[in-house]
Amino acid sequence: MHVDPNWLAAFIAAPGVAASLGLLFTGWGLRRSVAWQYRLALIGALINFAVSVPVLLVTQAGNRLVLQMGLYQAPFGITVIADALSGLMLFFTALVAVTTLIYARGTLDDRDRLNFYPLLLLLIMGVNGAFLTGDMFNLYVFFEVLLVGSFALLTLGGQIGQINGGIRYVLLNMLASTFFLAAAGVIYGTAGTLNMAQLAERLPQAPPSVQLLIAGLLMIAFSTKAGLFPLFFWLPASYHTAHPAVTALFGGLLTKLGVYTLFRIYPLLFPELLQEWQGFVFVVAALTMITGIFGAMAVNTMRRVLSFHIISQVGYMIMGLGLAATGNPAMATFGLAAGILYVVHQMLVKTAILMAGGAAELEAGSGSLLRERMMGLRQRAPALAVIFFIAAMSLAGLPPSSGFVSKLWLLQGAIDAGHWAIAAVSLIVSLFTLMSMLRIWQKAFWGYPKAEYQVPSPIATPSRQWLTLAPIAVLLAFSLWIGIFSGPALQWFDTAAAQALDRAGYIQAVSPTNTIEYLGGSYDAK
Amino acid sequence: MPELYLRLLDRVLTPILLVLAAYLFLRGHNEPGGGFIAGLAAASAIQLQILSLGDEPVRRRYARFLHPMAGLGLFIALLSAILGILRGGYFSSLWGKVQLGEVELELGTPLLFDLGVFLIVFSVIVSFLLALSRQDEGKTP
Amino acid sequence: MSGLTAAILVGALFATGAYLILRRDPIKLILGLTMVSYGVNVLLFTSSTLRKGIPPVIADKKTFTGDISQFVDPLPQALVLTAIVISFGIVAFLVVLVSRRNMLVEQYGKAPDAPTAINDPFGATAHYLSGLDADPDDYEWVDDTFREPAQSERS
Repeated sequence: MHVDPNWLAAFIAAPGVAASLGLLFTGWGLRRSVAWQYRLALIGALINFAVSVPVLLVTQAGNRLVLQMGLYQAPFGITVIADALSGLMLFFTALVAVTTLIYARGTLDDRDRLNFYPLLLLLIMGVNGAFLTGDMFNLYVFFEVLLVGSFALLTLGGQIGQINGGIRYVLLNMLASTFFLAAAGVIYGTAGTLNMAQLAERLPQAPPSVQLLIAGLLMIAFSTKAGLFPLFFWLPASYHTAHPAVTALFGGLLTKLGVYTLFRIYPLLFPELLQEWQGFVFVVAALTMITGIFGAMAVNTMRRVLSFHIISQVGYMIMGLGLAATGNPAMATFGLAAGILYVVHQMLVKTAILMAGGAAELEAGSGSLLRERMMGLRQRAPALAVIFFIAAMSLAGLPPSSGFVSKLWLLQGAIDAGHWAIAAVSLIVSLFTLMSMLRIWQKAFWGYPKAEYQVPSPIATPSRQWLTLAPIAVLLAFSLWIGIFSGPALQWFDTAAAQALDRAGYIQAVSPTNTIEYLGGSYDAK
Repeated sequence: MPELYLRLLDRVLTPILLVLAAYLFLRGHNEPGGGFIAGLAAASAIQLQILSLGDEPVRRRYARFLHPMAGLGLFIALLSAILGILRGGYFSSLWGKVQLGEVELELGTPLLFDLGVFLIVFSVIVSFLLALSRQDEGKTP
Repeated sequence: MSGLTAAILVGALFATGAYLILRRDPIKLILGLTMVSYGVNVLLFTSSTLRKGIPPVIADKKTFTGDISQFVDPLPQALVLTAIVISFGIVAFLVVLVSRRNMLVEQYGKAPDAPTAINDPFGATAHYLSGLDADPDDYEWVDDTFREPAQSERS
């Protein structure tokens, strides 16, 4: 199977064009504008999804698709590269994008929908670009693109809680981006290039102190984006304030993008440093898991509990990075593959459970777990209760879901390599996750509805029910598919991890030139 | 509160600023200038109108164009990148010559991209300015 | 600008920015953010060789022999431009957010019956709750992290 690398541009062009045309359709009367924005956005997201399938298949066959922008040779233009890791991420991002769009159509109120869909697609454009780019500064730019989209989505309702959350979110993400930018400056000053393939050649030769500086600055930037301990606090302060569809999208994509960059950058640019940092990575992973889960047990509204769960689950992914930080290639591949599987599992299940939790809040008119407002949702919305239950069990890691397989794989990797402490922590945190899920189940779904708290549900009409629940079911079906047919699915993650760790292959695929040709003459740079 | 002198100044300065914006925009072809700075100059003309007329008339006049304009700008910018595929690669530039009487103009996709940038910057900055200059700000209802 | 001047400048900007960000006043926070991003811009600018009075373009293509001392590296300048544009946009957005927040606070105060239920982000169900008593835990994040400056500070 052959795919022309030029198709990679569709990941940026399709959402971008759909968003821009959607913005053109404003000022036409609210309802009509929104209907057109939705249609255009759906078309854009479906094109994005349609392109992601062949890219996934082709990269899984062991190829890397490389596209040099503007026909400039590698270090001078911007390189766009899709390998198996990017391919997987792009596919599941496209899936999350389509399902979130449909879910948003079901749950958003008409007056709040204006420009929601174009902004969502801008966010997807940024996320896709960040997965694809092979250039440090371009990565920063795409981070900013998606951040601008997410700022606007977060504060779309204009409520004071959203604005308070939005200020924290903007501030801390902007600071993280500043650190990233500083790192980019130091990288350029050290290596004279920003192309990742060329950096993979040059950075390991840099003085250790400079390497440490760059790796540290990048660590601060990416771990803020990923929500790692101790830089996660912007996340639970803002996520639950947004509309349920926005929270689901953020929970499914944004922190995972941070984790993806950690998976991409550290094995590629700092292979030796990463091995030195193994203990540190494990400590961070364990603390992230523990603080996340304790936070989840301390708060009392549905989506805030789920927001803290995002953090605790990021800890598991970083545990995968820690397992990859070893000199033994087989073990490193195994650990990174487990981490990537966990990222994908979280993209599916976290989006699903935040969607289901948001639908439950809308259904009950409240997210309080302390009062009896949400009691008895299993009777008022049985289909939602079933879906939430499956998502919760997948999140807690019960078979036959992707949660079980991914946790099992991580544990196996940790025990094989003899990291007993982190294995124990991850098991205990799993148990607490189950407890926390049962708490939500007991407070929100179990019991009998109280008559005095009955409110008319904004998602009660059959069409809205379908639009709300079907996307969650699709995401959970993928999760169950990974869980049940784990053999072929696990092959994917193995390939992705092997490619992500194969530095020579990455450099060769991009093949940056070290010679500058200019007006017939040429000379060696550095 | 509309200001008399500002209104007079606005009459004079708005066209000048718009011409300046157009000049900066075209100059960006080869020299310092370009879509971003031109967008800022044009937005400053709108800010002058907000100061002299108050924000409500300006909002009534321009607000409904802002989002479509940003969309158009984004579309044009993306289009200029996609058009490069005609020469073999995205973002590679296409150039053509246009004869206007005596003057020969060299036009290409970078100019198109600059136009997109201009539209986006102008509309986004103006919507920020309008959001910041609400008359009811600070008053209790 | 020599390297040492640049280093001192970057340090000073970062220090000022960090100090201002740790204040509780949103305006100082925005100023601090601006300072920090200026600091990073200067840092980016120094990432290539600093040479005085030489343009980042090749002046005359015909006589250019490949001697890179005839021009300065244009890339850091491009990076700085991009970074300036991005931080400008984000700071402008932040200013709009803060001003909107101040407006809402002045209009409604922080009373729990304001249409600001945290679990009810778009006000979609606010009217359903109106007849019921409000749960304090539904509003726990309508807090005073960004408090209004006290009268003494304001003057």
